[in-house]
Amino acid sequence: MNPAIISFLFYTAVLIAIGIWSYRIVEKVPIAKYEDEFYAAGRGLGGIVVALILAGGMASAGTFIAGPGMTYEHGYSWVIINNLQIFMNLMALAPVAIIIGIVARRVNAVSYLDIFKARYQSKSIIVMLAILVAVFLLPYMGAQFVGAARVISQMTGLGFLTSLALGSLVVLVYCILGGMRGTSIATLLQGFVISVGCIILFIGTVNYVGGFANSTRILARLNFDFLSPTKNGMFPAAFAASIACMDAFIIGMPHALLGALTYKNTRALKRGIWMGGILVLIWTLLLCVAGVLGRAIKPDLAISDEISPWLAMNVMPKALGGIVLAGIVAGIQTTVAAMAIVITSSIARNMVREFKPDLSGETMKVLTRLTMSACFIIAISFALFNPPLIQWIIFFSIGGLEAATFGPIFLGLYWKRGTKWGAIASICWGMIIYSLANTFMPKSVLLGTHPFFFSVLSSMLVYVLVSLLTTGPSLDVVQAFWGKKTVAGK
Amino acid sequence: MDFKEDPRIKTARKILFIASSFFALYIIALLLCSYLLGHEPLLFGLPLWLAVGNLIVPVVFVVLLILVAEKMIPDISLTDDDEEEKEKNK
Repeated sequence: MNPAIISFLFYTAVLIAIGIWSYRIVEKVPIAKYEDEFYAAGRGLGGIVVALILAGGMASAGTFIAGPGMTYEHGYSWVIINNLQIFMNLMALAPVAIIIGIVARRVNAVSYLDIFKARYQSKSIIVMLAILVAVFLLPYMGAQFVGAARVISQMTGLGFLTSLALGSLVVLVYCILGGMRGTSIATLLQGFVISVGCIILFIGTVNYVGGFANSTRILARLNFDFLSPTKNGMFPAAFAASIACMDAFIIGMPHALLGALTYKNTRALKRGIWMGGILVLIWTLLLCVAGVLGRAIKPDLAISDEISPWLAMNVMPKALGGIVLAGIVAGIQTTVAAMAIVITSSIARNMVREFKPDLSGETMKVLTRLTMSACFIIAISFALFNPPLIQWIIFFSIGGLEAATFGPIFLGLYWKRGTKWGAIASICWGMIIYSLANTFMPKSVLLGTHPFFFSVLSSMLVYVLVSLLTTGPSLDVVQAFWGKKTVAGK
Repeated sequence: MDFKEDPRIKTARKILFIASSFFALYIIALLLCSYLLGHEPLLFGLPLWLAVGNLIVPVVFVVLLILVAEKMIPDISLTDDDEEEKEKNK
């Protein structure tokens, strides 16, 4: 048997064991605390786990497959673009974590939509966002599964269906059995495997090409543009600057809030921020530089995205290649797990409760697991179609959700006067404008900026204007979010 | 009923400010070094702009982040009970 398959199967077996182990932890929790445990791991995650949940959740197939693929295609110029994302943990946690941490403990919020519920107290916002989250994130999950399946199939020679099953079913096991608790334990293993995989791939590649000086010589001979920061004018500095602005708007993303909802105390928060910086630095920089070096080793790969699996198979012993494979797949699995938790909580905890507020603890428990199973079934069926337009769907869903929710989340946390009508208007406006900006709107209206940029800024403006025209939130809300003591407590 | 702001909100605003400034400084350093330094002389066998802007700058900023994160966020309690207890103990 191929040694790469053996090391990969070993990794998968450990994940299943983690799933069963976390199931036993979650089952011991009393029923009243079950949802806290399942969605937020009892709000007691330490620094390294918070760092990994966030970094692993946000770094998806985009980082582990498309990242090196883009540097293979465009040379060192694209390393700059990838380096812009290194501080995503800082930007996802620091701006919102303290307020969300306090409010979550006051109103017992464990999910993304719990925060919206507490802030805006509006059924329509919850239903609207739950639908948006499901509609956009399920295809996104499916796309991640496709990415993982392609890598596994390419490296092991297994068929697409077997590879899809191997990469996706194990996530289903630990997510459904253990919820956030299972995910957090699995993430520890995965974060380790990803980091080791990246380091092995980098060292192996540098070794094979014979050092940087040699690779630079070969690249210069191939095409000097690979060594240029702008790829000889193709990516000007303004392009990089506009991507940097997008990275700063990460706050609105539902999976970016998982860290703020689950961290234990300020010590865990600090560590989650700086450890995240170290992890994303290792994952991004090493893989992207390896992608460029790959060009010097194999200049004629037909599909650039296949460069990291190609390197893993060809420049190092097979068993080590298996660890790199596990690392790439682990990076994708952490994203899927985070998405599964966000979607399940939005539907089973928030949307269902809007219509049936008095479900018993036992019913909720069953409903939670059923919803999560349904999520996986839909995402995997989506992956079965192996759709060609996947990249567009990923891009659209992430950008659209950010455009719709950045104002209501970020301004809502700092501005007392923000109202539920402002939030509703901002969500609708963000979605519509983002769709139009990506399709029909003439480019001149955007003044040369990215469509996303225009959507976020204008929907923030809509949020402010509509809020000022409507009556502000009740004193209860203001007290819960910014008051010195809780109203309920006193 | 009058409204008294939780003192921790002020801390949250301060953290928001420091984090955004840190991110902006990193982006400026990364972009300036990448686009202005030029190709020669090679450093570690890599183009100068890449070695300085995309290896040294990110590593230096990640090390700085450890110091900034540890200083930026004070050790405060997130629950309300502890806050009351502390007040009683004073």
